[in-house]
Amino acid sequence: MSTRWYPIYQKTGPQLRVFLPNFWMKLIRTTEKQPKNIVQFSCSMQMTQFDIKNYLEKIYNVKTVDIRTRIALGKTRKDPGNGYVIKEDDAKYAYVTLPKGEEFQFPDLYPDENKDKEDYEKSLEQTKQGYKDYLEKNKGRPGMPGWFTI
Amino acid sequence: MGTANKIFNICKLFGNLTVQGSVKTVPLKPFSIVTRSISTSPPLKDLMEFFDQKDKWGGIEVKTGRAWNKEEMRLKSNTDLHKLWYILLKERNMLLTMEQDAKDQVRLFPNPERLDKVEISMENLEAVVRERNKAYHQLETGETGERPGKVTKNAFGLNYYYKMSEYPLPKHMNKKWQQKYRFFKHDKDNEAFLLKYREKLYLNKKRQKARNFNHVIGLLNRFPNMDIAALKQQYPDVDLEKAKRSRKYGGHFVPK
Repeated sequence: MSTRWYPIYQKTGPQLRVFLPNFWMKLIRTTEKQPKNIVQFSCSMQMTQFDIKNYLEKIYNVKTVDIRTRIALGKTRKDPGNGYVIKEDDAKYAYVTLPKGEEFQFPDLYPDENKDKEDYEKSLEQTKQGYKDYLEKNKGRPGMPGWFTI
Repeated sequence: MGTANKIFNICKLFGNLTVQGSVKTVPLKPFSIVTRSISTSPPLKDLMEFFDQKDKWGGIEVKTGRAWNKEEMRLKSNTDLHKLWYILLKERNMLLTMEQDAKDQVRLFPNPERLDKVEISMENLEAVVRERNKAYHQLETGETGERPGKVTKNAFGLNYYYKMSEYPLPKHMNKKWQQKYRFFKHDKDNEAFLLKYREKLYLNKKRQKARNFNHVIGLLNRFPNMDIAALKQQYPDVDLEKAKRSRKYGGHFVPK
């Protein structure tokens, strides 16, 4: 049998095992305010609560106390040009409770807030300087297109 | 001698098996293929594994290597591949988390092609495992061990690939299966549908042929010194002699 195809399970048969699971899980910021030991995940639609428990315990070594899942209906909107209705995909969310005494806080993934601004300003400065250089270079020949060089 | 040698080599590949009997042992050359074992950093085993390394947070560029290809993975043992699968799985989860957060926070997700690389690696790994599976089943049972299937006709009489499956009940007792899978049955409506469907296919084919014919004439008119062999290769169904006899061939002038 192939890696994704299993024989039918019958009593006394060998236990079916998943050797190469292809479930995915995303850790996301909690949409609502939650206690400190609750972590929100977005996961594969096929995953059950048991799957999530095993996944976290076996692969990530994260013990769990309680898991609740819900399926969020994808939003619908109208296509701006053609007017037909577009539906986004449904998503499964899991709320995982960590054992007593454990906490999880979503880390600050963008530590230097000003770095982006600085980079932007730097590139803007460079562009301005480049334009100045260009004007300086073409001072002696007004009306000549920019691509023309000798 | 030659075959015995080969077999011995293969045995050597599978492990330190002792070959008994009158087979001469030939000293093997040292392996020319040196395989590097997967280098792994000690696992964090924590929820922080869902995030990238700390020094890469908020960066503009994250430099990475390429995806694993099949040739490399064929050299690895099953256990190594099994380990690699989980490494890739974790990497994918990490990248998905970072991508989602970047999207939510309206930030830049650096080097999104990392996700593609992981996906490609996972696909390749699965292909290699499947290859091995097939080989094993061929050796043991004489079959590939793949999911069996056949081409059948659906309720409308159109061909499709039916993937077979195991069921606890036989067909005639399995009502759910009967409801789900309806195969072709001769009937007036089906006949009428198929007639029209085939007519459509036939007309499409005919129009395609005419279009090609006219296109070839146009090409010949525009490029009189064209490579005829290449033209024949690209449009094998067009009769060039016939095309040249057409009144569309040649310019609008009086022939000398």
